[in-house]
Amino acid sequence: MTLEELIRRAKLWRAGEVASGEGLSTGFEQLDALLPGGGWPSPGLVEILTAYPGIGALRLVLPALAKLSLLKHWLIWVAPPHLPYAPALQAAGVEISRLLVIDLEQAAAGANSGLPARRAPRRGKRAISSVNDSELWAFEQALRFVDCGAALYWPGQLEALALRRLQLACEAGGSLGILFRDQGCAAQSSPASLRLALNPLAGTQEVAIEILKCRGTPRERECRLVL
Amino acid sequence: MKLDEIAAPLQIPPLGRTAPMTLASVTTTAPEPEASTRLWLAVHLPRFTLDMATRGNAERKACVLVDGEGARQRISLANAEAVRLGIRVGMPLAAAHALGEVLAFMRVPAAEERAMEQLCDWAYQFTPLVAPVAPDGLLMEIRGSLGLFGGLSGLVARLRRELRQLGFQTIAFGTAPTPTAAMWLARARQSAAVESLAALPAALSQVSLEVLDLPAKLQQDFCGIGVRTIGECLRLPRDSLARRFTPGLLLSLDRGLGRTPDPRAAFVPRQRFASRIDLLWEIHHAQGLALAMERLLNELTGVLRAQASVSRHLLWQLHHADGSVTQHPIGLLEPSREVLHLLRVSREYFLRQQLHAPVRGISLEVAQFEVLPSAAGRDLFARREDSAERETLPRFAERLRARLGERALQTLRTQADHRPEWASKLQTVNTSSLNAPAPPAQDLSRRWPERPLWLTRQPLPLIEHDGRPSYDGPLELANERERIEAGWWDGAQVSRDYFIARNQHGSRLWVFRDLAGSRGWFLHGIFE
Repeated sequence: MTLEELIRRAKLWRAGEVASGEGLSTGFEQLDALLPGGGWPSPGLVEILTAYPGIGALRLVLPALAKLSLLKHWLIWVAPPHLPYAPALQAAGVEISRLLVIDLEQAAAGANSGLPARRAPRRGKRAISSVNDSELWAFEQALRFVDCGAALYWPGQLEALALRRLQLACEAGGSLGILFRDQGCAAQSSPASLRLALNPLAGTQEVAIEILKCRGTPRERECRLVL
Repeated sequence: MKLDEIAAPLQIPPLGRTAPMTLASVTTTAPEPEASTRLWLAVHLPRFTLDMATRGNAERKACVLVDGEGARQRISLANAEAVRLGIRVGMPLAAAHALGEVLAFMRVPAAEERAMEQLCDWAYQFTPLVAPVAPDGLLMEIRGSLGLFGGLSGLVARLRRELRQLGFQTIAFGTAPTPTAAMWLARARQSAAVESLAALPAALSQVSLEVLDLPAKLQQDFCGIGVRTIGECLRLPRDSLARRFTPGLLLSLDRGLGRTPDPRAAFVPRQRFASRIDLLWEIHHAQGLALAMERLLNELTGVLRAQASVSRHLLWQLHHADGSVTQHPIGLLEPSREVLHLLRVSREYFLRQQLHAPVRGISLEVAQFEVLPSAAGRDLFARREDSAERETLPRFAERLRARLGERALQTLRTQADHRPEWASKLQTVNTSSLNAPAPPAQDLSRRWPERPLWLTRQPLPLIEHDGRPSYDGPLELANERERIEAGWWDGAQVSRDYFIARNQHGSRLWVFRDLAGSRGWFLHGIFE
């Protein structure tokens, strides 16, 4: 194996340089320009931290998801906080037949009652750790699944050790893992390839995207997008 | 002692008895054997009963098989661990106990026979002509199978490997043009293949007479005259051999050497599978069952291969120490016969299970075999199904379903309906939804104004401040409103005015005012 091959494999990166792995375009030119590799690190684990719902965290990744789904890769969503809405996904170009949703609370609740389980719009701490464990396991399996293009996960609590495992699973399965977390987690150290914080800008339609961590040196730390 | 000295007295004329009538047919002519093109492989499992009894436990323990009753119990079979303790065949059981901790088993002929039949079902994958040889061997006619399995050495290596996976520790093979001789060679542990009838007498000459399974009395008689090997026995004159000993012996020798036909009833395999492993001690956690499960699945997949079939339903049964039996059916999304896949699914399933009582035995049943989908539609160069390491989506889904429950996996479907909650539905993944290609989802998006990516599971009532709805702060409503009135035809009528709203934090929300009932405000979606 030559050195070039090693470098091309994206597992090796040299500090101070833009990571050599080919990024998966985010679909936002401004953001691609910032990110080392020119897009989402794939394979790799991405954390997207937001303080409030409804500011566009999911829209930020949709162009990449749409592209993956058209390439016949599977999109696996683990424990989404609400129902993914097909018409909106289709409008964004996502092939919804390639979407698989894993929802344990729904599985447990729907089994005996006809009514859908009701979940608080903002996710609080969840008491049942076994549900959390199973979700984490499912997410890891999804990342390791070869035909999975991207796996998305809305976790409750996550420990640093679990994050490390997820990062390894991304590399093993060659997939893009995306975690949607609360901004409170920004202080926690994380082995993720990329961490972004999203903040709405008061009085405008724009959202400020801040790179908290990435492999290599970004050209800028922040950009503004209309999502 | 030389053979000639002993052979002489045998030539003395018989003691007034006439030869039995049957002898004539045996001795007159040695018909040209029609079996000369056949090649038989004998599999001898000298510790069959013990291996069957202990194969569910990874930990090896000294085990013996005892014959006889009460104080006269003697060891008839000992496994390697027992031999290491110094236990020998023929020892009284009490003496064996004195040498160390030993598990003793009694022979159950009916169970042995059943187990051997199951093994024949399994062996049917290698050749269409399989015959059990009680109590611990089976015969396979392999001339036609050699090409497929990479010659004799390839076949034997594969059999050895797969029999190990079934839990047999001691395996001996013998190959000869006649079934009887093949079995003798296997029992004598002469693994060198004898491919022609002409080479048989030489190959058998040094084989001990014990392999013939003669009655003990006869065995002693031969010992008494110093005849110990088949070669020595063959040198005795034919007619006196028949007269002095049993004619059955001569028939058996003729069959072994191919001088007389040796028909074997071909075993007829069954289209179902049921096998059980008893554990040596009680198991409290499902993890302890992994080895037994693997062995049973190896056996099952062999039987399925033999029938060119796959299975969709596995029925695991746990036999508990308190006598109860629990049933654990596993339905597969995609029929399969791949050990690794079935094992993964079963393991994930049992990880979820709590054992209500310790387990003493585990059994696996498959009542229905499905014909393997024909290879005609498949790409010639596609990877073979058996070697497919790559996990496909149905298999991935299977594994997750086994661990997380049947309803945990869902796919998204659209429906032409104006009511937002009807237009998009999550549907539990099942067999048909994965196997049948999904109908192309209708793209509803173009006809409608912007829709949110999240829909709340149910509309959430919003608090009102001064007539304005609020969610984490007062909401600013956009000017456009979308009126949705539909569903009067099926009793779930909605009549709503939808708005896109924004709160102080910049969250974009989809809210509606209910026009029909309460006239209240509800949150129905989030533009995430």
